[in-house]
Amino acid sequence: MHSIPPKPENPLHLRSEKLTLGCPILDALLGGGIPCGSVTELVGESGAGKTQLCLQLLLCALLPPSRGGFSSPSLYIYSEPPFPLRRLLRLSLPSLPPHPLDHVFVRPAHSPDDLLSLLSQLPDSLPVRLIIIDSIAALFRSEFDNTPRDLKRRSSLFFEIAARLKERARKLGAAVVVTNHVVDVVEAECGGSRCLFSSGRRVVPALGLAWSHCVNTRVFLTSSEGMARSSNGEECATRTRRMHVVFSPHLPESSCEFAIVGQGVLGVG
Amino acid sequence: MMEISSIPISASHRAKLLSAGYTTLSSLSSASPSQLARDLNVGLQEAIDILKASSESCRLDMPDGAHEFCKGAQTAWDMLSEEQALRHISTGSGDLDSILGGGIHCKEVTEIGGVPGIGKTQLGIQLAVNVQIPYEFGGLGGKAIYIDTEGSFMVERAYQIAEASILDVFDNFGCPLKEIQAFSKRLKPESFLENIFYFRICSYTEQIAVINYLEQFLAEHKDVKIVIIDSVTFHFRQDFEDLALRTRVLGGMSLKLMNLAKKFSLSVVLMNQVTTKFTEGSFQLTLALGDSWSHSCTNRVILYWNGNDRHAYLDKSPYLRSASAHFSVTGKGIRDATSQCKRVRMM
Repeated sequence: MHSIPPKPENPLHLRSEKLTLGCPILDALLGGGIPCGSVTELVGESGAGKTQLCLQLLLCALLPPSRGGFSSPSLYIYSEPPFPLRRLLRLSLPSLPPHPLDHVFVRPAHSPDDLLSLLSQLPDSLPVRLIIIDSIAALFRSEFDNTPRDLKRRSSLFFEIAARLKERARKLGAAVVVTNHVVDVVEAECGGSRCLFSSGRRVVPALGLAWSHCVNTRVFLTSSEGMARSSNGEECATRTRRMHVVFSPHLPESSCEFAIVGQGVLGVG
Repeated sequence: MMEISSIPISASHRAKLLSAGYTTLSSLSSASPSQLARDLNVGLQEAIDILKASSESCRLDMPDGAHEFCKGAQTAWDMLSEEQALRHISTGSGDLDSILGGGIHCKEVTEIGGVPGIGKTQLGIQLAVNVQIPYEFGGLGGKAIYIDTEGSFMVERAYQIAEASILDVFDNFGCPLKEIQAFSKRLKPESFLENIFYFRICSYTEQIAVINYLEQFLAEHKDVKIVIIDSVTFHFRQDFEDLALRTRVLGGMSLKLMNLAKKFSLSVVLMNQVTTKFTEGSFQLTLALGDSWSHSCTNRVILYWNGNDRHAYLDKSPYLRSASAHFSVTGKGIRDATSQCKRVRMM
């Protein structure tokens, strides 16, 4: 094998950049923002705020570095059409450059192979610093049976996709965000993944243990309904949303409350 | 019996030797560098220099027939390396160290597996830091190679762990101010980070290339005392059309690593992932890479959850019995879990 001897790096010179989430409370939970060079997973049931947060990140990447952004375009790959254009148009942040939507590249992906070929076509010269896959679970919803052979094929595709994403993250110095669905669990054991409660359901991230090994940081978005007494004494339903760091190489397990409002996803504290 | 006055050393060293009871060359020959450094209250390097000088003057005065003896004799440097190799690298948790027989062993390959988030990378970074604890403070005073295949090595976390480890060293040794000043230059988180040779790997071909290059690199950097691969698995779980090829590549890799561990008296730590295996009618967690791989490591440690507690289980070892230990991942790094429980109970 003729390869140039690899060179070690001095950790002191490694960059550890973060992309702001556009909210100081959420940034604090994630130790400054979404880390570059690795894969961050946002997992939650439908309506948990995953896509909303992704759209917010697309704009955050355009912010100048002084405001926690990269002044760089981003790539949004969606597997659950249609592309949420109207929701993106409604979002806005201060200090954005003019015509921000010109800097958001959007591509659909219909299958795991589709995603792989799209990632391999991504040129090194494209100055994208944020890649979002929304969602990874939808790519694997069909075309796989519950046979050992198909399960094996499926998990080797997870590792191939993750390796490609991490390689891109490393080359481009980009933050990679992947969204994932949840599945209900009944047994006491969740196959190594610890479950969380959302909307009264006991849930774990979809795609199982193999996929869990593919992400560096796992962020769980949950919501729960409760009753609160309003000022006029009537009982009304309230929704409490929380963002949990489930695991991460640089963060402790922790969580904070957040809300989805007109301006976007914001931490409550 | 030869007197120590024949050794070419400074008058102050000679005085220190005499007052510590080292009066003859033979009394010196049985002393280890660290013991001598303690007895004379001098630095380790000074102690080594004294031992070197004494073994050389032994040699000069030797009658011809003594060459045989000399061949079998060790230099102080050899002795130091041997002693280093006998020391173990602490995991940061005393309970975990004790089921491992004192910590991670040199000259051996240790595999550490567990589910995502259990603390494999935390333990990897902790070991890369702890191997650098100076010899005088019970460490190996070595450097580390960190081969990152997954992109989980975070500098900010390594910095935190190094900072806490340095504070612990001073706490545990409560050493006099003079010593702290002498070490404070070396004992900085920045220099701990600098002494980690970091390789970021993006494919299995790159992984093989780095492992092939290690021998040359280690020959040039003999102070490296630990090689960590986090994880050895990741790039080998993609579609390998030829499974026999995968087995061969992995087998060759583990053989190389085992030889490097022996040749350079260093410790090799391989992080592994877990997978579910269908046996006897139910799904069980098992380490990845299959049955043939499971023979390629000397020691195997499995990290697992027990409720909300982290535990480590020594699954395989050539001479230690299987046992488990409770540990925790704290802001400082890997630590005992028991001290935390105590604290909670007190409150």
